[in-house]
Amino acid sequence: MRYFLLSFKAIFMKDIVTEFRSRQVLPTMIVLGMLIIWVFRIASEVASAEVSAIGPIALWVAFLFAGLLAQERSFATEEHQDCIHGLMLAPIDEGTIYLAKLLVNIIMLSIFEMIIVPAAIVAFELTLSRSILTLVGVLMLGNVGLSSVGTLFSAIVQLTRTKGSLLSVMVLAILMPMMIPATFALLAVFGDIPAELIGTGALSVVGSFKSAIMFMVVFDAVFVVACWLLFGFAIKE
Amino acid sequence: MSKEKLTSDREQFVVDVKGVSKAFTARRVLDRIDIEVGRGECVFICGINGAGKSTLLYTIAGLLGADSGSVKLCGYSVAHDPEKAKAHLGVISHKSMVYPDLTVIENLSFFTTLYGVKNAKARIDELLSDVKLTRYKYDKAGILSRGLLQRLAIARALVHKPSVLLADEPFTGLDKKSCDDLRNTLSDFVEQGGTVMMTTHDTRMGLACASRVIILDGSKLILDRPTEEIDADSFDADYISYGRGVV
Repeated sequence: MRYFLLSFKAIFMKDIVTEFRSRQVLPTMIVLGMLIIWVFRIASEVASAEVSAIGPIALWVAFLFAGLLAQERSFATEEHQDCIHGLMLAPIDEGTIYLAKLLVNIIMLSIFEMIIVPAAIVAFELTLSRSILTLVGVLMLGNVGLSSVGTLFSAIVQLTRTKGSLLSVMVLAILMPMMIPATFALLAVFGDIPAELIGTGALSVVGSFKSAIMFMVVFDAVFVVACWLLFGFAIKE
Repeated sequence: MSKEKLTSDREQFVVDVKGVSKAFTARRVLDRIDIEVGRGECVFICGINGAGKSTLLYTIAGLLGADSGSVKLCGYSVAHDPEKAKAHLGVISHKSMVYPDLTVIENLSFFTTLYGVKNAKARIDELLSDVKLTRYKYDKAGILSRGLLQRLAIARALVHKPSVLLADEPFTGLDKKSCDDLRNTLSDFVEQGGTVMMTTHDTRMGLACASRVIILDGSKLILDRPTEEIDADSFDADYISYGRGVV
């Protein structure tokens, strides 16, 4: 256990130090996130929907695409100089690499959200109808879901040399089921969801805020464990 | 197998490759390869591009899985006991496997942690001195010259005092001085009881370093001889014909 923790910490710290020295991902994520918020804010002026209903949707779009950027980068750094082989040759369980990379991606997305969420609150004039802890909880559940899938597929894509497009296609397809309760939950945090939206369409399958949270918890648990177990197979050959 | 026999095997063959075959889609790259390498041997593997040299080394390292056959390092199966097998293995190639945004000392410190090296600081200082990188220890790996980067790669590969060193084209891109330094490092490693398996297209350098030569051709092992039995001039002129002729 101690060896696992030491290896985990070493890989985690290496990735954090590498990112903050190279400053390649976070600035790009922030620019992309701001651009998405801005485009949705302009679009909301001509849409018939409430401005406050567009905000949470814009946020999830920003998290998805900015998350993909961070996840793609997490294994692109390992490809340089065949560093991934250096990691794979070490006598550590491959799952340790996955968990350390996952935590780095969650942290990157959290830092991104700390900047983008306040910007969206101002741009879309959002008000919290639940506690700020609830907002943080919903965002964290979303982060874990996005990062668990993205981290695994980033490794697969980098090693199969198919690069970015395949990552986006695979990750977005798998995340689709989580986006429904995630959108529901964020809409509920930023105000009451109109009854007509709950009663019809995709959001009707969620039903309530509580069931949205439950769905996200289950999704996160299943995908973190599944991706952790599959990671060893994914990075070989 | 009895414990006594297992221990005996571990002492006899540090690298034990038995009937290894490997194919990429329809193309067979390795066909039932058998190699046994003892402690203190330096094996030079040669063959034309695509002969399967790197595939063989990557299969021994466990980075590629064999389609059939088995690989053991110091008695531990690479497929079934990878963590114990990897603990005995160091790998260098023409790519350094180090992180350009970390300093020399940070890179070595990272790998000492992954390998669970005790007294890491002392080991790092010793390695930096051995590969003459002490004055560059606070420089980022990304700004090092090719020669210095290869020295760092060697330090990384030796950080846990492995029994076996696999070197895939380690001389690529190095100037003569760096090649000589690397050759001396490999010789020192072998003198201390280490085992080296390396590939290079520089046949003169390969013969100078090695105690044994293996030629791969058409996915098969066509020659396996001690270096002293090799006629260096004929071998250097056309080692494939030499290998076929001898066999």
